[in-house]
Amino acid sequence: MRNVVVVGGSIAALTAVETLRMEDFDGRITVLSDEDLPPYTRVPLSKGVLAGRETAGDVVLAPLSEEVDLHLRTPATGLDTDNSVVLTPAGPVRYDGLIIATGARARRIGTANQAERVLRSYDEGLRLRDHLVRASSVLVVGGGFLGMEIASTARTLGKDVTVVDLAPPLDRLLGTAVGGHVRGVAARAGVRFVLTHGGVRLLGAPFPTAVETADGQRLEADLIVSAVGDVPNVEWLAGSGLPVAGGVLVDERCRVSPHVVAAGDVAVFTTGDGALTRIPSWTNAVEQARSAARALLHGDDAPVYRPSRYSWTEQFGLDVKMVGAGDPQGEPVVLDGSLDSGAALLAWPDATAPQTVVAVNHPTPPAKLKRLLKPVAQGALV
Amino acid sequence: MRITADRERCEGHGLCADVAPEVYELDDDAIVVLLHETVPSALERKAEAGARVCPVAALRVEQSVGA
Repeated sequence: MRNVVVVGGSIAALTAVETLRMEDFDGRITVLSDEDLPPYTRVPLSKGVLAGRETAGDVVLAPLSEEVDLHLRTPATGLDTDNSVVLTPAGPVRYDGLIIATGARARRIGTANQAERVLRSYDEGLRLRDHLVRASSVLVVGGGFLGMEIASTARTLGKDVTVVDLAPPLDRLLGTAVGGHVRGVAARAGVRFVLTHGGVRLLGAPFPTAVETADGQRLEADLIVSAVGDVPNVEWLAGSGLPVAGGVLVDERCRVSPHVVAAGDVAVFTTGDGALTRIPSWTNAVEQARSAARALLHGDDAPVYRPSRYSWTEQFGLDVKMVGAGDPQGEPVVLDGSLDSGAALLAWPDATAPQTVVAVNHPTPPAKLKRLLKPVAQGALV
Repeated sequence: MRITADRERCEGHGLCADVAPEVYELDDDAIVVLLHETVPSALERKAEAGARVCPVAALRVEQSVGA
């Protein structure tokens, strides 16, 4: 293999390139990114960038010093696996090995004539920032990590903030104990929560100015932001023959076919119980990209991919770090501190064999959190 | 090569230290500490990889003049 093409321009693409070089691949590497910016981190978009404190220079990642042919503003529009070429508006790009890291985009719930506000890319972050500055009230649809981080930043800027969701925000991610704690802190900071039994409809065009809930409530705001999940970017693979099922389907080494691998938000894999899952997180993008690059070079000799399952959120002055299975059920065992005191180290279901460990404003490094997990819980997903 | 760490931005995820424990460490508050003022040449690649994996871009790489 002399010629590897990486499609995508974010942390998965960057990590894949770096891993190829670390594994002493000395052939040609071409990176095709549809972004204007070189690889950057999305993590600060809902925080420093949205608050107006940070700009592109703060989010761009350390550039690759290795010789890499990086093409920005170059989307892949198709894939011809028979002839091993990626199609782009600038012409076909040949590969011996292909790494698919096209990520995901924000899911939208509005209609075609609505300029729905979402936050996924740097450009979307800048646009949302400009709208947020002018708004006095904000309604966030969706109370996951992103939606709640947007709510937190908006409160910091003094906006009137409402979060609407189908279920109590964060419970599904952090479990009810920590979810309830974070919501309590957010509510004391002035955030209003609205639960709706069914989907919501955005009203107003081009910019939505209200939402209507399934149970008939009408909620108005100067700015409506949708934070309702992400959609993997797989349309360019139509007709390629690659398996696509809510993402590009990869095996236990992130392979799609012998010369094609995939990593990051675009990749979907089978869990132990046969269900398909995607893990759209920073940590997973990094770990899958390493695994995918090694599998491309070494095939079956490459190690099997094991997600470490580390995620985090920062909001309302809370720093929450979680390892292990998401949505831990029931009351945790307190390993240190207490939620009431503001700092806590918590484990589920018990202290001897934790499957989930969460640190709330507790200075335990994630590496230490991972060591607290019962060994079989690590990678139990695959 | 020199690395600069923005300790204000650091959120203590420790991914840098996972990648390059010879270059990065977390202190008792889980904030990054650089172990070398100037990165030894044998560790440059790992140092760069550790900087690149920081989710809040708190680590900056400065190449030596002439390198």
